[in-house]
Amino acid sequence: MSALDNKKCSYVKKNKKIAFTFDGKKYYGYKGDTIASALLRNNVRLVARSFKYHRPRGIYTCGIEEPNAIVQILNEHNEPNTRATVKQIYDGMKVDSQNRWPSLNLDIGSINNLLSPMFSAGFYYKTFMGPKGFWKRIYEPIIRRTAGLGKPPKEFRSKSIHQNHNVDIVIVGAGLSGLIAARKLIDTEYDVLILEQDSFIGGVLKNSNKVEKINNQEVNKWIKETERLIKTSTNIKILKNSLVTSYNFTNHLIALEDKFAGKAIDTSKSELTLHKIRTTHTILANGHIERFISFRNNDLPGVMLASSFEKYIHRYGVIPETNPVIFTNNSSTVTLLKSLVDLDHKPAAYVDARDKNKIGKKLLTYLKKNNIPFYTNAEIEGCDGNKKVETISIRKNKNKIIKVKSEMLCVSGGINPDIHLFTQSKGLVKWDDKLITFKPDVPFQNTITLGSVSGNYNYEKTNDEINNKLSFLKAKNIEFKIEINDTNNFNIKELWETQHEKKSNWSKSFIDLHNDVTTKDLKQAVVEGFDRIEHLKRFTTNSMGTDQGKISSINSLGIVSKILKKQISEVGTTTYRPPYAPLSFSAIAGRSTYEFYDPQRKTPIHNWHVDNKAVFEDVGQWKRPWYFKEHDAETMHQALQRESKQTRQTAGILDGSTLGKIEIKGKDALEFMNLMYTNPFTKMKPMTSRYALMLGEDGMIKDDGIVCKFNDKHFIATTTSGGAPKVLADMEEYLQTEWPHLQVYVNSITEQFTTFNISGPKSRDIMSKVFTEVDFSNENFPFMTFKVFNYMDTEVRIMRASFTGELGYEIYITPNHGLALWKRIFHHGNVFDLVPYGTETMHLLRAEKGYVVIGQETDGTVTPIDLNFNWMIGKKKKDFIGKRSLTRSDTAREDRKQLVGIIPLDKSEFIEEGQHVVERERIPDPIKTPVEYLGHVSSSYHSPNLNHCIAMAMIKGGNKLMGSKLFVSSSYGTKNIPVEVVSPVFIDPENKRLIS
Amino acid sequence: MILINCPYCGERDQSEFSNGGEAHVARPENSENLNDKDWGQYVFYRDNPKGIFYERWVHSHGCRKWFNAVRNTSTDEILKIYKLDEKQPKLDRFTNTLKTPSGEPKVGSGNFTVKK
Ligand SMILES: [Zn+2]
Repeated sequence: MSALDNKKCSYVKKNKKIAFTFDGKKYYGYKGDTIASALLRNNVRLVARSFKYHRPRGIYTCGIEEPNAIVQILNEHNEPNTRATVKQIYDGMKVDSQNRWPSLNLDIGSINNLLSPMFSAGFYYKTFMGPKGFWKRIYEPIIRRTAGLGKPPKEFRSKSIHQNHNVDIVIVGAGLSGLIAARKLIDTEYDVLILEQDSFIGGVLKNSNKVEKINNQEVNKWIKETERLIKTSTNIKILKNSLVTSYNFTNHLIALEDKFAGKAIDTSKSELTLHKIRTTHTILANGHIERFISFRNNDLPGVMLASSFEKYIHRYGVIPETNPVIFTNNSSTVTLLKSLVDLDHKPAAYVDARDKNKIGKKLLTYLKKNNIPFYTNAEIEGCDGNKKVETISIRKNKNKIIKVKSEMLCVSGGINPDIHLFTQSKGLVKWDDKLITFKPDVPFQNTITLGSVSGNYNYEKTNDEINNKLSFLKAKNIEFKIEINDTNNFNIKELWETQHEKKSNWSKSFIDLHNDVTTKDLKQAVVEGFDRIEHLKRFTTNSMGTDQGKISSINSLGIVSKILKKQISEVGTTTYRPPYAPLSFSAIAGRSTYEFYDPQRKTPIHNWHVDNKAVFEDVGQWKRPWYFKEHDAETMHQALQRESKQTRQTAGILDGSTLGKIEIKGKDALEFMNLMYTNPFTKMKPMTSRYALMLGEDGMIKDDGIVCKFNDKHFIATTTSGGAPKVLADMEEYLQTEWPHLQVYVNSITEQFTTFNISGPKSRDIMSKVFTEVDFSNENFPFMTFKVFNYMDTEVRIMRASFTGELGYEIYITPNHGLALWKRIFHHGNVFDLVPYGTETMHLLRAEKGYVVIGQETDGTVTPIDLNFNWMIGKKKKDFIGKRSLTRSDTAREDRKQLVGIIPLDKSEFIEEGQHVVERERIPDPIKTPVEYLGHVSSSYHSPNLNHCIAMAMIKGGNKLMGSKLFVSSSYGTKNIPVEVVSPVFIDPENKRLIS
Repeated sequence: MILINCPYCGERDQSEFSNGGEAHVARPENSENLNDKDWGQYVFYRDNPKGIFYERWVHSHGCRKWFNAVRNTSTDEILKIYKLDEKQPKLDRFTNTLKTPSGEPKVGSGNFTVKK
């Protein structure tokens, strides 16, 4: 009554023992074992607790379709949700079971099983509805702890890589059909790529003894010969351990290769390779998946799919149990029966749902001859036992139940072609009444299906099928004579669920083992009106686990069709979506992690900022100083007050290198600029600059900046730091699509210049000391003009402009001279108390002056008129982008939200950004009419120069509300804050400082 | 991910391109003569049919050139690619070459993986 080695199996190399741990206990397996085959070898039956009810679960399958044996690999960054039936062991591997506490054997969550009436279909939707606030505080933490899969991996750096392939033909699956197709294609003109999910080739040839000989050769010899021929060919490549997870449009496939299958990972190397494959033709030879049958307690450890049991015997050389009961409704289990008999282990019983006619004389004679208890027209009623199968109840006929003692029960409910990839590629499937399953019908792409995935379960016919379906290729016909072990044609009786007795609350018949969905849940959901298969799936969570219901989704269609009294083809299938099996985020991310995913951009002055205690802010990809700490204890508020006060008293300097800069050149540059911006540039004098606005065709402000005019054929436009790529792209788009007749070239020069903004009453003095040869007097260097000259053996451009309202200059220099110039400015500036300031002070100073920030005051619904920017609109221009929209009835409305300034009536109060502006001080109680919303606060600061709060707001009809009293909501206190509507220009409305 | 044949660079992955919506919508020359409704039609309305669609693409991570394409939006099949100064190919050139995935009806979405 325990597991044995199959001494005839060559796959497991018995000379190499491997030690690993499961839940802390040490076990031994052989090189090549999966976690599952090694655990079976050690008679470990209980390997998991189920998702909802925490029921004991065992190994159910022998492959990717496994719903139960899902484990966590502790020594691989805690990798969760790993299929124990796929993952190979290696020395020192540490494996833990999931979803149990404190241990697998004693699991407290299993009380859920007794509470199971609560957990019926749709329970997530019904149970966790209220009261308010319960979801976040109570329900979610509990669900996360108890209904779960593994714990998330610990922090690690993915070293996965992506690889591209362009080939003529892809073969998915190196089983019998895949290999014969490959033999046909050896040394042809086609580039062929074979993808095999296993670490070896052969598929069914190694998983069973269903095929005995190929061309009179032992199958193992034939496989070796084939592998050698492929290796020596010049046109075929095999990728093993590579699972195809997606089949997308245009014959684009994604395959995930495990580079460390059966080996301990080396963290310095890439663990996974994500292959992105483009192909002309795709050959799907990815086989089939066996399905189960629902009966009472069909989830007890010890119940296993029949073909999986067969795989363990032949592939891994482990006989999980010497005398199991076999339960089938089809002919595919004959080879398992014979394998056991050949190994001198007779099944405890052979239970076949088919009648004698269908079973056939040959098998009946065989069963009799070997003295195996067998039951025809019979089914399994259920099984019982303590955390494992102990007693199996066989329903011999309507009322007669026989009990058999055995610890394992092998089930086969039929065979499903693995149509997942075929339907992902948008191929159509159809129902086959004889095979009782869906099979591929019309492909949508260049897809060919071969072997059992196409519904051909007869191995003898494989050779002809391949010659036929691949006849369009330039390849010779091949001739392989395939001898099989059982010559009966596949036949099956439809059976989804057996009739069973209810013994206790513990008795359950499952349709989805992974998500703990019972057949009763399905029936209840249909009764509740969820009779469409897609709805039913979401409501019950049937086939929504990480196994995607690979062994059970067709069964649920069968059961539902019976309830609805419809054909299965009418019920239809749910949509198969990629990925075919879970694939790790680290594989998708590849090398695009951390700084490789989102590069950081630093200005040439960055290290100086770091040395001077800058606190940085992310602006797009840029790192910009937010504020500078004078000493470690200085708070942000203190720093801002200091920086902004000193800038207005003496001078301050900002690293503005991140500002976008675009050069516009060409014969028609002037005409182009007149079209792109609202401003008129025709009469603008050379070597002057202008604050300019760019609109969308809808009349809304898109970007702003300063435009410098060298002459009619040469302009430079600055953009917001984040807007540069978009503005450049928009300019290119209009030049290519609307105005191809204009001869204009646009080019980004953001990185070609390092930019500083110096401002404050002392800035002229400092500039005169640094650039001694330049005359900075008001007469010779007036506001909004610029000069270009040579300095430090390079070109420097200086523009007189200001974003603070003070006298100011913008300096442009080539980046490799940037730091030297910055230091030289400080060398001369220290005498004048020059202070470096960051983006926050920049925002504060501009708010004091009433300058807007695009993206702060504007949000894509603001026109220039809303900001009182009428003076910037070239009304005499015939056209510019967005011009016509400014007179649309909606844009011309007088009650649009308009820019105003607001200050609190009580100067000690502070207005918060984002708060609502309303008419009333208190919300009436009870509320009879909604409180009317007038607008919102877009910017707010404590002004150090006025010593009270100043704010900007966008308010409906704001221009007409000057001087009136309104209220602003607040996140603290119960009352709204009374405010006065004022002009948004708080400092120097006459521009005396600006033009001094 | 589909492949797009840039007329300047050749066949490249879709991720290198950006879609620019409906093609052949010219910016009105004399917008001041248009009423609000007609101007609004140009600014706000674009077609988005299921089936054959003339649309704009730009090779944004490549040559940065704009071009036009005829695409079957239900199958993602690109039927024709042409430069901006080339003539718009006639619609009747493309009818009957259509096949929709999953045999879906022409209107609305749905799940019809099973052939009727
Ligand atoms: Zn290109």
